[in-house]
Amino acid sequence: MIGLLQKLLLPPPPRFFGVMGLFHFVDDAAAAVTALRQAGHQDVQVFSPVPHHEIEKALEQGPSIVRWVTFTGGLLGATGGFALCWYSLVSWPLVVGGKELVSVPPFTVIGYESMILLAGLANLLGMLALARLPQIRASAPYDPRFQEDMIGIWVPCPPPDTARVEQMLKGQHALEVQVHA
Amino acid sequence: MSQTLTPPAPRVVAATHDPESRPITQASLNDDVLKLISVPGKVWWAVFLFDLAVLAVALVAVRNIIVHGWGVSAFQRPVMWAVDITNFVFWVGIAHCGTLVSAVLFLFRSHFRRAVYRIAEAMTVFGVLTAAMFPAIHTGRPWFDYWLFPYPNQRQLWTNFRSPLEWDVFAVNTYLTISSIFFLVGLIPDVAAVRDRAKHPLMKLLYTLLSFGWTGANYQWKHFYGAYLFFAAIATPLVFSVHSVVSWDFAMAQTPGWHSTLFAPYFVAGAIFSGVALVINLLIPIRTTFKLEHIVTIDHMEKLAKLVLLTSTMVGYSYMNEFFMAWFGPNKAERDVFWFRATGHYWWAFWIMFSCNVVFPLLLWFKGFRRNMKALFVLCLLVNVGMWFERFVIIVTSLTRSFNPANWFYYKISITEIALIVGSFAWFFMFFLVFVRVLPAFSIAEIKETLTFPRRRPHG
Repeated sequence: MIGLLQKLLLPPPPRFFGVMGLFHFVDDAAAAVTALRQAGHQDVQVFSPVPHHEIEKALEQGPSIVRWVTFTGGLLGATGGFALCWYSLVSWPLVVGGKELVSVPPFTVIGYESMILLAGLANLLGMLALARLPQIRASAPYDPRFQEDMIGIWVPCPPPDTARVEQMLKGQHALEVQVHA
Repeated sequence: MSQTLTPPAPRVVAATHDPESRPITQASLNDDVLKLISVPGKVWWAVFLFDLAVLAVALVAVRNIIVHGWGVSAFQRPVMWAVDITNFVFWVGIAHCGTLVSAVLFLFRSHFRRAVYRIAEAMTVFGVLTAAMFPAIHTGRPWFDYWLFPYPNQRQLWTNFRSPLEWDVFAVNTYLTISSIFFLVGLIPDVAAVRDRAKHPLMKLLYTLLSFGWTGANYQWKHFYGAYLFFAAIATPLVFSVHSVVSWDFAMAQTPGWHSTLFAPYFVAGAIFSGVALVINLLIPIRTTFKLEHIVTIDHMEKLAKLVLLTSTMVGYSYMNEFFMAWFGPNKAERDVFWFRATGHYWWAFWIMFSCNVVFPLLLWFKGFRRNMKALFVLCLLVNVGMWFERFVIIVTSLTRSFNPANWFYYKISITEIALIVGSFAWFFMFFLVFVRVLPAFSIAEIKETLTFPRRRPHG
């Protein structure tokens, strides 16, 4: 049963073409990324136990656009919360004590909480979509040391280019180079 | 094809985390944190089974309430809100510290939070789960609890959005959802580290699912931290709003002792006060048992103790302000209720509250006391006793002495309510005991960020 579930949920890793370089030093990894990108490898992927600013800079990563997804969720939540209160009273008007039907102060609480709820859910879904999670098919070969103290740089390339990339990574002081061809 | 070109460099990483403690390296941090996730020993099983036995007794009380109604308790008009709502407010309050530590201190860039926030966040989720039980049972007919939610129905009947109790439904459910998401998202990179070491196929599968297939790729980190910042940004106003809304359950009623604009900040400060105290109570045994003093250092504990001191002074100010306003204001009923609180039937509860929350925490002004873990542990236990009594005093004394003396009543707790109180702790610790053994109780990724990373060339 467990074996079947594993087969269904954890398919064997796909075949990759490229070179993986493993680095221990952060500055080596950042320099390697810069050199690879200058050599035309714009699609390098970096794996690390924690994010490093130097590497982010070398990759020229801009800020995440997840903020706009969150903002949209918040806007929808606030509008939806107020609209629900308004609709519930207008659809069954019941005047109590001669007071106004639509009373903004109590509705603010509902609108506010709904805004936060939907902003949070949108933030989660936006993050998962943009970070391509859950990741069912690996985008590059994986090494458990990426969760400990190693930085991996994956350079996808066709088999004829692997020797050149391998030499580049060696030149940038990679501790280990794995060629997938 | 794999080829090793050069032998790995010696993993000498200088720890800046706490120079007084033993050094932490990136790899040793994984070992230290993940050693908690192992097959539990006899002590864990003994504690866990005892916890389940206590919970079973509480479930008998819940069964009696559901089958026979609230008549099995000592609740009588006008005291229909007593221990269950006290428990509700107490546990929601406990929950608040988690969001404070994980979200508010994240926005303030307080680095000490990194070592302690996972425990606090877990406490938030389990605290809200415990709190939510009480209004659910208190409705008397819990099988109709879904009526609390606005949903389209045949008769077009909607919930009363002007009622503070309905605000509570929105606030508490939003809080449970957002704090659970925040907790589970924060776990993703650390669960990936657990996944890579898991041996049992079932556990490997569980961790693979919980880690969402995390690999630590640059595009994952980019959006992870992009989203994390916004989780913190939306959880911060949420934490303040939730306990404000809880306080308005009382403040919106024209009951003496409740009808005050002070309630929202007073409740929020009290919530953080009790929550931080419970975090300290949980951290002290964990760091000692698993020898993690170098990860959760004495400095971290001292900073938490300072938060307890700060919030204690805020709570103390609120207590005195309430009495001052009752004396200074024109309302005689208000004055009488406050006089009754300090000197009436429940004088003992009031003075337990005042001494545990205001007087004893004054010891925290002394550095030696803040850094003495045994003394801190006992003080934080007292703080939580005091904070439970705070809610009891607010709720029960005001309800027993309302405007009309014909309604006055002396509420005496029954065995059913005692079972509910003890059971709430058993319910909370059931989740917590499993959490400590199954998920990483300390954030590996965030603590790792505080280390000095190995460089070939000096920085700059």
